[in-house]
Amino acid sequence: MLSKQRAAVLASVGLVVLSQLAAAQTRQEYRFKAGRKATVSISNQYGPITVKPTAGKVVVVAATTYSDKVEIDKRHSGKRVAVVSHVLSGATAESGRVDYELLVPSSATVSIHSATGPVRIEKLTGDVNLEGATGGVDVRDLSSAHIHVRSMDGPVTLTNITDGNVEITSVRGDVTMNQVNATRLQVNSTSGKISYFGDFGDAGEYILTSHTGDIEATAPAYASFDVTARSEHGQVQNDFPLAPEHTSFVLRAGSAFAGTLNKAASSVKLLSFSGKIHLKKR
Amino acid sequence: MTCAEFEKFLPEMLAGKTSLEQRQHRESCSACADLVSDLNLISQEAGSLQADEEPSPRVWKSIELALRQEGLIREEGPAAGSEPALVAARWFPRWRPAWAAVALASLAFAFAVLLNQRGTGRHDAMMSVRPAVPAIAANDYSLEDQRILAEVGSRAPALRPAYEANLQRVNAYIRDAEAWAKSNPNDEEAQRDLMSAYEQRTVVYSMALDRSLQ
Repeated sequence: MLSKQRAAVLASVGLVVLSQLAAAQTRQEYRFKAGRKATVSISNQYGPITVKPTAGKVVVVAATTYSDKVEIDKRHSGKRVAVVSHVLSGATAESGRVDYELLVPSSATVSIHSATGPVRIEKLTGDVNLEGATGGVDVRDLSSAHIHVRSMDGPVTLTNITDGNVEITSVRGDVTMNQVNATRLQVNSTSGKISYFGDFGDAGEYILTSHTGDIEATAPAYASFDVTARSEHGQVQNDFPLAPEHTSFVLRAGSAFAGTLNKAASSVKLLSFSGKIHLKKR
Repeated sequence: MTCAEFEKFLPEMLAGKTSLEQRQHRESCSACADLVSDLNLISQEAGSLQADEEPSPRVWKSIELALRQEGLIREEGPAAGSEPALVAARWFPRWRPAWAAVALASLAFAFAVLLNQRGTGRHDAMMSVRPAVPAIAANDYSLEDQRILAEVGSRAPALRPAYEANLQRVNAYIRDAEAWAKSNPNDEEAQRDLMSAYEQRTVVYSMALDRSLQ
């Protein structure tokens, strides 16, 4: 048990450390008149990036740094805005960290590279291009956008996406999609799990592919699609009463199935090398 | 049987107990077959250490490869690459009496890495050692892979283990996809899967070479 004197010393030290951290923390805000169709790119090694829409034509970049070991390099030319965290020699994950909060016109095209920090984007209609090596990617409430996500280790979550063209490549991170209706959705993972919760829309093409990761797609009974599911060395499971469909390959019981549900409005392909595939009824 | 289920029985399989289902999976899955093969090799090398007074050239070579990948030793000229056992031995002139400890540690380390890279978590129950940095046989990587890893190692050493592990996963994917596409040349989805596998490697490469990586 700590003595009162020792606790007081520890508390004092803690306060000093906190005050030093607060003193080192600097928030800067940059404004760029770039128009409604602005093209915004951010590259950051450490720290989170959040992007939200704004009604105006101005791109607002708020950057919080935690030391002088990192500088914010900015470039603005016409519609184009580029911001790069310039990490100086000797910086660590703590001292090189920059937290970004962006406000962009909702129809702006956004391109983000984050080496380690999480990325969150919401409520945009412009195209989105995201690369995250180890941090998570969270995209929500986007419509009519081309969404291109490339992730190595971090999880990828898409929520409430409508009428978009979605491409996700994840090496190890899990990919989770909630209410994602796209004209074309393509997800590819090496070992991450792919989960889809939604009704597959009404005229889309959905292709979910993995090497060893499991694939789980959950849809309501009213969903309308034709489906092909194959796992070369894993099991497949289907909860729906599908109407049989001709396939170009031999259907091996337990490792592949194909069929049609309702009017087959969308096309669904679930493909894995050794992961389990489960088409679940909600 | 899935790969994850297969891995649950690795300890029993290494002890020589295999079921028909496990054998069938091993024959049909190159990734699992490679894993068992690697683990058997490690096991054999560890066993040989108890009998031999000197380590075999293969053991020296394994240690040297691991050290090269970590950037602890570098190429010194043509002779260095042609005689790996001698090179490794030269780097450890005073360590010879302790070679067994080093080699055993390396083998245990490699064993843990192999299981860790499979990403099952099963190895936690089998071994308490969790490696800080993976040591992987160089022949698992192409020359391009090795250049990429060297680049990551020079700019961001802490990130190298993650890139090594992911390249291994992606390479296993490509091997399986190539085999599948080759055996099913008219299968559109097999061809599509192969393209997807290559795309995975592109992702790892592009992130490794990204300009913001320090």
